[in-house]
Amino acid sequence: METSFALTGKGYVIVAADTTAARSIVKMKVDQDKIKDLSPHLLMAYSGEPGDTVQFAEFVERNIRLYQIRNLYPLRPAAAASWIRRSLAESLRSRKPYSVNLLLGGYDTSLHTPNLYWVDYLGTVVEVPFAAHGYGSYFALSLLDRYHDPEASLEEGLATLKRCIDEVSKRLVIDPGKYKVKVVDKDGIREVEI
Amino acid sequence: MSIMELNGGSVIAMVGKDCVAIASDLRLGNQALGISSNYQRIFPVTDRVYVGLPGLATDVTTLRERFRYRVNMYTIKEEREIEPETFAHLVSSTLYEHRFGPYFIEPVMAGLSKTPSGGYKPFIAATDLIGCLNFAKDFVVAGTASAKLFGVAEGLWEPDLEAEDLFETISQTLLNAVDRDAYSGWGAIVHVITKDKIITRTLKARMD
Amino acid sequence: MNSILQRYSGSSAGGRLSKSVVEDDSDFSDAMWGSEAGFGTLAKGVPGFVVPSVPDPAAFLRLHTDDHADPSCRIKIQHGTTTLAFRFQGGVIVAVDSRATAGSYVASGTVKKVIEINPYLLGTMAGGAADCQYWETYLGMHCRLHELRNRERISVSAASKYLSNLVYSYKGMGLSMGTMICGWDKTGPAVFYVDSDGTRLKGDLFSVGSGSTFAYGVLDQGYRWDLTDEEAQELGRRSIYAAGHRDAFSGNSCNLYHVKEDGWKFIGNYDITKLHYEGPGNVAGSPGHGYGYDLRVEGRSSANPPEVAAQA
Repeated sequence: METSFALTGKGYVIVAADTTAARSIVKMKVDQDKIKDLSPHLLMAYSGEPGDTVQFAEFVERNIRLYQIRNLYPLRPAAAASWIRRSLAESLRSRKPYSVNLLLGGYDTSLHTPNLYWVDYLGTVVEVPFAAHGYGSYFALSLLDRYHDPEASLEEGLATLKRCIDEVSKRLVIDPGKYKVKVVDKDGIREVEI
Repeated sequence: MSIMELNGGSVIAMVGKDCVAIASDLRLGNQALGISSNYQRIFPVTDRVYVGLPGLATDVTTLRERFRYRVNMYTIKEEREIEPETFAHLVSSTLYEHRFGPYFIEPVMAGLSKTPSGGYKPFIAATDLIGCLNFAKDFVVAGTASAKLFGVAEGLWEPDLEAEDLFETISQTLLNAVDRDAYSGWGAIVHVITKDKIITRTLKARMD
Repeated sequence: MNSILQRYSGSSAGGRLSKSVVEDDSDFSDAMWGSEAGFGTLAKGVPGFVVPSVPDPAAFLRLHTDDHADPSCRIKIQHGTTTLAFRFQGGVIVAVDSRATAGSYVASGTVKKVIEINPYLLGTMAGGAADCQYWETYLGMHCRLHELRNRERISVSAASKYLSNLVYSYKGMGLSMGTMICGWDKTGPAVFYVDSDGTRLKGDLFSVGSGSTFAYGVLDQGYRWDLTDEEAQELGRRSIYAAGHRDAFSGNSCNLYHVKEDGWKFIGNYDITKLHYEGPGNVAGSPGHGYGYDLRVEGRSSANPPEVAAQA
């Protein structure tokens, strides 16, 4: 029951993903990091078909890095989202499409805005103030409609995230377990404990 | 689960007196789950042509990018803006190129075309997902609420509506049709194209 | 009085099916046509229904009505719904939406999904509309008979058990209902969840239907036992709004009921869109603004321009 959340606040994006790696009915690992640091100000949480997820995430990671090496500056969140979307959309009509859902959280250092993109395996992209993937979204989105604040401080944002995590572990048949939480803001990326 | 109903959304275009209107809802869903209530699926092509792309959301973005590329190439080569009729054929052939693995989009176009005398003539058209063109004299519809839109439009539309009356007609048609469709709604936007300006308004729609 | 009692009192809740296709008028009692409130088929105390004359009626029915396995078939039964009920210090709150859908078509926006069984009992409706309406009304009849026989009101527990046993006897025949039986009895406020699988659960807080997850999201976060009446009503309303907003198959309006010691009271009908833009209006517990996210955060931005740039 893979679940990931992300929400924006005043000058930051919080991205959280569960850390369980499951196969059939077995938990294979309970501390899997499913959030990649793509660039100094860009985070990507990925979930979906086992195998595809890591392959695609690393493919994206290398290409975003390549862009930065070639141009000496990284892609901004909107541009990165656009490139990743196109990769997924082209993959969709290939012989073996990637089945990967993403949450892209970034901080645009030129516009001073946090950006969050909801991306699914089809290549659907939409910019949103908060997002979720997996069964958790059915519980968290209504909760975030009620409690999310775009001007919340980091502490308040993390408290709202905690509500989502608690709600999902309370109601979802299979508790996703522990979460890894990362924050991106003007100072870059860091991991936080909740 | 139908691919055409996965994301939801509907578009309608109508002809008025020396003007045309195109309107759409703003919902992007994942089956029953609403994801965004501000999803634009109508795009300007030139100053006088708009295109609406209801259907699978990933193809909305892909096709918009494709159309933008092709229209830009056309503009550079021809050194003039594309006419609505020409654009309709561009849309049609782009879609038919993918006859055996189509884009899941049913485009709706609205614009004003130049007449030899220097005036403007309203133009609307729609195609199916593989590019069969449908030029209509009154209105065209597409999307998950298309059946409902046909019914309401058939009842409300009349010839030679002025811009403001056309706005009212298309707005009422869209709002009342999407209220009967589970996959459309969550806000609405209307563009009325007249010879000297474009009126764009977002409507206060039902949010359930 | 005794004769009436005798006529209605079937000791078993279990159903028996009369397997006839050619309906002969003489098969029915005269009572069928008059004062039996449409429950003539049950007049002998044992329910009897006409079933198709095929070797396996249940399989035949399944072939032609939609269920989760085959949503494309022709006979559509109302499915999408959000209903909720919770117990708290001040009684029971029951709140439901009012949308009925057939496929993607919104067939009605004014469905009554709370069934008023009697002045002390409410039932909610999710799944097959006809199944819920019929059997909860039928439950009402038997609750009244219980009162006449025992000179006291039926407990919520007993009433829900009666319904549970009844629908269980039809298991596999295609009944589809997910309902909450809510009321007030000697033990105080009570809520029971009963569904057509035969599940019956006692609890403090339930939500049923396609929008239930969205309702739970808001409900769980706001729920406390010591909620005031106003807070509880507001929570019920807000939760149904949340589901009506996010779930395509729920919406249109919210019907709110409050059960207290002296029976249930209808609090009001609230348009979901009006809740979105304006809130519940001048009622107890109202937040004084629309519930909609965009309205709540209007003018607030997560942009973070540096101080210097902002001044310049």
